Amino acid sequence: MASDFNINDLQLKYLELETLLDITNELNSFDQISVLLQEILVKSCGVLNASSGLILIEDDNSDVLHIGADFNIDISVLKGLIFNKRKGIISEINESRKALNIKIEDDSFLSKTQCKFGLIAPFLDKKNLVGVIILFDKESRQGLSPFHDSDANMLSAIATQASVAYNNIKLIENIKEAKTFNDNVMQSIVTGVFTTNLMGEINHINRAAIAIINLDKENVLGNHYEYVFESNEFITQLITKCELESVTISESQILLECNGKSTTVNISVSPLMNDANEPIGSVVAMEDLSNLDKLKSTFKKYVSKQIVDQLLENDEMLNLGGQEQEATILFSDIRGFTSMSETMAPNEVVETLNDYFNLMIEIIFKYNGTLDKIIGDALMVIYGAPNSTEQDTENSVLTAIEMQEKLIQFNQDRIINLKQPIKIGIGINRGKVISGNIGSKQQMNFTVIGDSVNLASRLCSVAAADEIIVSDAVWKKVKHLKSFKSKKLTPVKVKGKVKPIEIKEIQYNRPEFQYELAYEKIEQFLLLNLPQQYTYHTIEHIRDVVIQSERIAKKEKIEKSVIQDIKLAAWLHDVGYIWEPQRHEARGAEYATAILNEMKFPKSKISLITGMIMATKIPQSPKNHYEQIICDADLDYLGRADYDTNSNNLLQEIELVKKLTPKEWLQIQEKFLKAHIYFTTTSQKLRNQNKNKVLNKIQQQLKNN
Amino acid sequence: MSDFITSIKENNSIVIIETNGYLNNVGGEAVSAVVYEKMAQGQTKFLINMAGTKIVNSIGVSILIEIIEKLQEVNGKIGYYNLAPIVAKTFNIMGLTKYSTVHETEEAAVNEL
Repeated sequence: MASDFNINDLQLKYLELETLLDITNELNSFDQISVLLQEILVKSCGVLNASSGLILIEDDNSDVLHIGADFNIDISVLKGLIFNKRKGIISEINESRKALNIKIEDDSFLSKTQCKFGLIAPFLDKKNLVGVIILFDKESRQGLSPFHDSDANMLSAIATQASVAYNNIKLIENIKEAKTFNDNVMQSIVTGVFTTNLMGEINHINRAAIAIINLDKENVLGNHYEYVFESNEFITQLITKCELESVTISESQILLECNGKSTTVNISVSPLMNDANEPIGSVVAMEDLSNLDKLKSTFKKYVSKQIVDQLLENDEMLNLGGQEQEATILFSDIRGFTSMSETMAPNEVVETLNDYFNLMIEIIFKYNGTLDKIIGDALMVIYGAPNSTEQDTENSVLTAIEMQEKLIQFNQDRIINLKQPIKIGIGINRGKVISGNIGSKQQMNFTVIGDSVNLASRLCSVAAADEIIVSDAVWKKVKHLKSFKSKKLTPVKVKGKVKPIEIKEIQYNRPEFQYELAYEKIEQFLLLNLPQQYTYHTIEHIRDVVIQSERIAKKEKIEKSVIQDIKLAAWLHDVGYIWEPQRHEARGAEYATAILNEMKFPKSKISLITGMIMATKIPQSPKNHYEQIICDADLDYLGRADYDTNSNNLLQEIELVKKLTPKEWLQIQEKFLKAHIYFTTTSQKLRNQNKNKVLNKIQQQLKNN
Repeated sequence: MSDFITSIKENNSIVIIETNGYLNNVGGEAVSAVVYEKMAQGQTKFLINMAGTKIVNSIGVSILIEIIEKLQEVNGKIGYYNLAPIVAKTFNIMGLTKYSTVHETEEAAVNEL
């Protein structure tokens, strides 16, 4: 019976194999190195009858091992020991790469364990030693004994399996660590980044991208980019192109509309490749330009785009402090604005100034001026600070000329609308100034101060309306430029200067009258002001007269320059209806005279235009060819197919004052048509026949009545 | 009492020994010492609660076999419960389960022994 109980070698081998199989099966289920090592050690001790065991495992980036697992051993005795890969028994294992049966010598660090025998096997990562498993003192019923060679083979097999599992966990840990690192980097960067997989689904996204997309992360991840960017076709096209062509695409200043949020971004889409250089998706980077835009737009209220860009590139320019340098200073001031504003409503004053400043500042920035201040209706502009160029003074004079020129066009609109034109005087000086950011940390302004600045202001005071006055210093800088002409003025005495100052007036040519602009402005004026109750004298009638007068004039071989004036007269011929319908021709002529005089329109042309307006008075009385043209244009409809429509409109308008019977109306029409003649050959040929048909028809209707 | 034996109690004339740690030479000797002492006092039925023992080696199994042999001489019995899978497997491979019983719980063990 007792022999039945003897444990035979076969059972032990079976147990060893089963244990090895268990270890192999279980190894891949561990995701923590410490748990894995402990399990391996315990099972190894059990199957090989070891009394205790230890696993030493590598420290990252070091040749020193540390205790990764212990079983049935008092590890306090090992405290303070350094397990060096290159020393003692571990060094031997490192070289042999095989399990070794050892007798623990007195001088070995293992002797601290008080054990006598050891079995040690390496954990390898490819050829590198990453750790060792050490079993101590094989147990038997007779006591402790050395391990057998077969135990070494078994432990080697276990250690080989354990190494694979250890390296896998280590690899996963490294991947997790790298992922965490990448996630942290991704989340911390201000550029919005997301990636898509081959299915086009967004699989990674950072905080900045979520802010731009303006959706919860849960609503972005796993969704196709076409769904997330459904209202941004341009973006989806970029990603699609990147997917199809595997090319990196970059676009600037793209307006992204996402869930009610608009963001301007610079966008870059690149293919995402695996190790085999095969595409696995796309990575999209979006740089949010909102803050930069805000900064730029704030700055741009004061300086040109060029200077904004320079300041953004070199923030040292923003330091407080000053420096002495040469600069050119321009002052402009509206003449008589205070008295002008007294006749205007407050909102009109603000509106007028805003319109004026918008126009002027655009010119200032065009020539790289820095708008230093707006003082009431005056502007102070710096050229040459913070950055100076050779063109500073030339730019200041160009600015002044264009300000005066543009103001003439600006005033055209005001004059047509019977508003007082704005006139400015400009003074420019060049000299040494102290420039810098002056103020406190909370509020500092870039400005220039000094005597040269004061003189520029004085010159502006000297300048009359429409004048540009410059100092000698300015003229010396620009006189070599043939495009500038000047007129020497009597030296002036200015406040703060003992000697009279040499000054020049910069001459500029008044820009040509902008006919097209004038037509447009007059049309707007008529649209706004023509009485609404009129059914015949409407904007449609005026537009018709403009079209017919141009057509007739061309047929009559009138010069182009005069056709412009005929059209101007046509636009103005009924403008008097706004004020005095009964004598609208005369009132229209007065208006035309006033506005054209204000626009410095040649006097001879003004009388030509007023003559044309007056000629349209019924009965028509043209005194020249041009007046004949506008007269024929005014009554062109008498010989047209749309006669009935026009006559009905006229009847309605007449009946605003007096009701007519149908017969009375027919009689009026008959009388008018019989008396009317077309003056130009063009109209006679084109309209007489039809006009006669209309007359016959009316006469027939009268007979029938 | 050694560190390996954490408690000894009786339930329905059955001595229940609770172990903790490695059932090896040392652990086995600790169990056998308790069993032989209790046998000397007339006890013949033993249960080992192995919830705290996650590993066993063949020497530990050998000692358990020695205990079984001694118990068979007095018509005694020994059983185990709360076995870790690896311990249960080892007991099975080593033939221990032919001569002793494995149970799920203390209650089942007490009823079945």
